[in-house]
This record gives sequence, structure tokens and C-alpha cells, in this order.
Amino acid sequence: MEQKGVTIWFTGMSGAGKTALAVPLEKELRSRGLKVERLDGDIVRQSLTRDLGFSKEDRDKNIERVTFVAKLLTRNGVAAICSFISPYRAVRAKVAEEVGNFVEIYCYAPLEVLIERDVKGLYEKALAGEIENFTGISDPYEVPENPDVTIDSSTETVEESLVKILRRLEELGYVPPAEKDEAYTEDEEAEIEARLAALGYL
Amino acid sequence: MGLFGRFRKGKQGRQRVVFIGLDGTPFTFMKRLIDEGRAPNAARLAQQGSLLRMDSMWPWVSSVAWSTMMTGVNPAKHNIFGFIDRDPATYKQFIPTSRHMKAKTLWEVLSEAGKRVVVVNVPVTYPPREVNGLLVAGFLSPNLDKAVYPPSYLPTLKSLGYIVDADPWKARESKDLALQEVNATLDARIRTLFHLLENEDWDYLHVHIMETDRLHHFLWQQMEEGHPTYAPAFYDFYRRIDDMLGQLAANLEGDTTLMWMADHGFCTIKKEVYVNRWLQDNGWLRLRNIPPDRKLGLDEIDPASVAYSLDPGRVVIRVRGREKEGCVAPGAEYEALRDEIATAALELHDPDSGEPIFQAAFKREELYHGPYFEQAADLILAPYDGYDPKGALYKETLTYKGDELVGMHTYDDAMLYVGGHTIAQVRFSVLNVMPTVLDLLGVPHPPGLDGESLL
Repeated sequence: MEQKGVTIWFTGMSGAGKTALAVPLEKELRSRGLKVERLDGDIVRQSLTRDLGFSKEDRDKNIERVTFVAKLLTRNGVAAICSFISPYRAVRAKVAEEVGNFVEIYCYAPLEVLIERDVKGLYEKALAGEIENFTGISDPYEVPENPDVTIDSSTETVEESLVKILRRLEELGYVPPAEKDEAYTEDEEAEIEARLAALGYL
Repeated sequence: MGLFGRFRKGKQGRQRVVFIGLDGTPFTFMKRLIDEGRAPNAARLAQQGSLLRMDSMWPWVSSVAWSTMMTGVNPAKHNIFGFIDRDPATYKQFIPTSRHMKAKTLWEVLSEAGKRVVVVNVPVTYPPREVNGLLVAGFLSPNLDKAVYPPSYLPTLKSLGYIVDADPWKARESKDLALQEVNATLDARIRTLFHLLENEDWDYLHVHIMETDRLHHFLWQQMEEGHPTYAPAFYDFYRRIDDMLGQLAANLEGDTTLMWMADHGFCTIKKEVYVNRWLQDNGWLRLRNIPPDRKLGLDEIDPASVAYSLDPGRVVIRVRGREKEGCVAPGAEYEALRDEIATAALELHDPDSGEPIFQAAFKREELYHGPYFEQAADLILAPYDGYDPKGALYKETLTYKGDELVGMHTYDDAMLYVGGHTIAQVRFSVLNVMPTVLDLLGVPHPPGLDGESLL
């Protein structure tokens, strides 16, 4: 199957599991022979958009620049895995429109779970007022209305979520199914089927 | 010191388990054998441990039940839903093997914990996956040469005259040949069991007797009806099983727990029920062409069809976006159709006797939960004992009663024996077996098991 470029866009609040899923997804897609690049919010903000803050205007610019890169990658047949909070629906819609082949994956967990997890210590600071414009605390997050996949990291394991995402990407034709190392030759399979039929199991 | 004295291997105080699979031996049948004095060893062992009635797993075929036993999780986590399955996008059918099994097996968990395992003939272990020890795959192996890990053990098995499975075609020819086949295969299996006991180092030794299931498929009715020739032969077979259990028990160290398990029960078939015939009669299934030899694949399903069935009693709704050329919209249309089929199934009666055929029509979410949930059929029809649902795509009649296959599986008459422990009889299922074994061997449970230890 010839690779069709796609932007796989993980959106959700901080700590909801975007990167936790993007990393193994990248590994799996590479193992299936795809060209993959991962654009992660934390990493991009140290380089490509290190001049930007977290005001609405700066968030929009952040996504705009990332979209530019994702579009280039998608256009050239790469699976661009993007994990950004990207809290605004209109901005996400614009990304989708720009890149064309776009798959939105909404990563959710209840806010109280995210605060308890606080994987980067940011929720505590935001609640103490030390960080402004923090999504979920002092800034809004607009829940996607029709994402391609919804993940609930408070109830699903990473593996369960990955299976859902891969199934959807396969259904959409962006990812070939995992290669099956066949256990039987054709003749062997026919014989085993005949054996099962003889035992009344088919 | 006699022959069996050499079983005393390993360090004193080493916790070990010997696990015997008695495929399809009903709890109620074992109890009857005990009560009638036909199984004196089992009777004594039942006094020394706990002989328990157990539920299987729906659908109650060995591939599903043993996969559940060996992983401790439900089918939506281990991904084995029957002896046959399909890719819903292409309708290519396949036989699920260990390559499709997505959960870690008991013997893999034990291996990782440093325990040595010897596992023989368990269903869905082909192709053999790596273990710390020896694994001989079960009857879904195309031949013995491919069934052994490590392959270096193959010459030993061949020297023992090991047989992968009784020949079902011979068994279908005549009851005498069926008996000959199961007894010859049992001979080889028992011979191998005691060779492994004596010569291999193990913490967990599991040998699966599939011959019980084979005997029951071909001769259960004859046993129940007291056939003058075949009933005694049936009991004689079980005398050999009982002797085997007695020999095992007599020669195990004090720290070794003997267990045995049946994955489902058995009963006489009243009628085979062709679910796809029923779906066709009700307008839910239509076939494109009926080839003269009537060997049909799922590609013969007319795209206007809304449902089809896979063995045994699984009903798949042809939902759009999942099924090849699926025409049923997900959501309200799917739910309404599923309810309609479920209701109709519960209203289906034997056209001759008037008895109801299905006791339950489970929605998949009632039985399964996990990452492979989408592979499950939408409805799992649970028959009353005696009505055996089949998945043949085309049959001319709804029901049939034949002479060759006379026994079928049952759900709530499986069995577990745990030696040396008193366990109260509660309702439990095959999901509880793996955690129980892990506790006996002092190995922590991996995360995500669906059952709890019985200890």
C-alpha cells in the first residue's frame, strides 16, 4: 500500500496522554514501514516557537507554524504525529482545512485526575496562580465536537487506546494493517479447517 | 526406589503444580463416576482437595475456554473468539492461532518469573511461543515437526510415539475406529506425561488430554443410553484416566499441587441448529450464489444482508464501517436490529419437539471488555443443552440430527480440581484458574487479569 501522508493530531489538556500515545504510535507506524515525524508541543516550544507564550494570540501563532510544518510533511507522504493542547476548535478546524488529510484524536481525562497526576507539576503552579493562561485552570479547553477517536486515559490502558487509534487509521486507509506472519501454508490451513469441520467445529 | 520414586526432583520445599487438562469432562459426569465407584482415585483425591463445578466462557469451545484459562482474561483481551474467525474488512476467514493471542500466557508469566514450565497439547498454543522449558503445541498444529519448542525436543517426542491428535476422519467412519483412535492417542499422551514427569525439570507441568473431548463428540450418546458395547468401552476409557490420576497423585512430592480442569461440559446432541439457515429464513441473510459443492466463504454473502453467523452461535451484524460492504448504520439502526434478532432467537423453537432452542442472546458488551472488543460478534446465542448451533453458511434445513457427532459442549458443567486445598463451591469461571495457579506458585499476578484466585 503506497503511503498516504496524514496529520494525526492529538489534542487535549496537559497530562491527558497525548505524548504518552504519540510515542508508541510513532514506533508502531515505523515498524509498519511508514515515514513518520512527531511534532510535540513541549519540544517545538523549545525551538520552532520558543519566542511564543500562552496568550490566545501566541497559542494561535504556535499552531499556525506547526501547521505549516505538518502540511509540508503530509504533502510529502509522511505521517506527521502532532501532540498539542490546541484548545480552540476554530484553530483545530483551520489545521484540518490546511493539511487536508487530518485525523483528530481527542485525549481526555477528568480534570481532577489530571490535577492528581500533575505529571509536570504545572497544575499545582497554575492553581497557586504562578502560571497564567493555563488550559483547564485559567484558560478554556474547547472539547472537539466530532473527533475521529476519543481516548479516556483515566479508564483505558495505553495499549487499549493504541488499538483504537490504529484501527481507525487502518479504516481510513492511512496505515496498512500489521503484517501477519502466517502460521500456516495454504495447504496446512485447509487441512486444519477440514479437521475442525470433521470435529463439528465449523 | 521404584520407577515413580524418581519423580522426586528439585529442591525440598519447592512449590510445584501438575495440571492435567481433561477436555470436556463434565463435573457432573466425574461426580457420577465417583458416586458409582468407577473412579476410585478421583474419589480419594476429591476428599483430599476440592473438586469444583465451574463455568466455561461463551462461546464454549475449547479455543476460547483454554485461551481464557491460559491468560486469565476475557476474549476481548486475548483476542480468541472461536475456532474460526474473519477479518471484517475483507471477509477472509482464518483459524486463530497463538499469533493472534494478544495476552501473555500463564506459562510465559511463569517463565519470566524464573519458573520452568513443561506444557503439552493445550489448544491455541500453535505456533509454539518461547518459554523457559518445553512447549508442545496442540491439535491446531499442522504436524509435530512444527509444534515443539525447543525443536531439539522433537526426537524425544517421536521416540515416545507422540501423537498430536486422534484422527477425526477415522472416528467418523465408525464408533469402533473412534475408540481405537482415542485410546491409541491417550496411550501416547500418558506415556509422554510420565516421561516428562520423570525426566524433565519443571515447576509447572501441564499435559492436556484432548482425547476425552474426542470420545465425547463421537460416543457421548452411546454412553448415556447404556449401549451394550460402547458404554462399557466409554467407562473403560475413564478407568484409564482415573488410573493415570492415581499414579500421578501417588508419586508427587508434598509441595506439589495436583490440579485438573475441564474447559466445558458435554451432553447429547438433540439437534444441530444451523443459525445461518435461520437468518436466511427470516430475511436477514441472503447468499449470492450457491455453488454445487456448497463450500461457501463469507464472500458469498449478498451485500443486502444484515447479519450472518459464525460457529458456534455467534451473530455478526453487517455494520457499515466495520463489515465488508456493510449496510447497517451504526447507532440506532444497529441496536434495533440486534434487539430484533436477539428477541427472535429467544422465540425460536425446535420444529419437532417445540422446545426452545436458545436460553440467552448475549450482547457482546455483556460478555467482553478490552482492546479487541471490536473483533467480537455482536450477539452470542447461548443454546439450551442439546441444541448445537453451527456456522455453516448454507444448509437446507434448520435442524439436523446425525449419527457421527453425537455429543456437544455445555457451559456450566466445566470442572476444576485443586489438590490439598479446601475451597468452598461458589459460582466461578475459567477466568479464575490462572490467578489460582500463580498463587500456588508464589508468582505475582500480572496487571489486568479478569479473574481472582480461588485461594
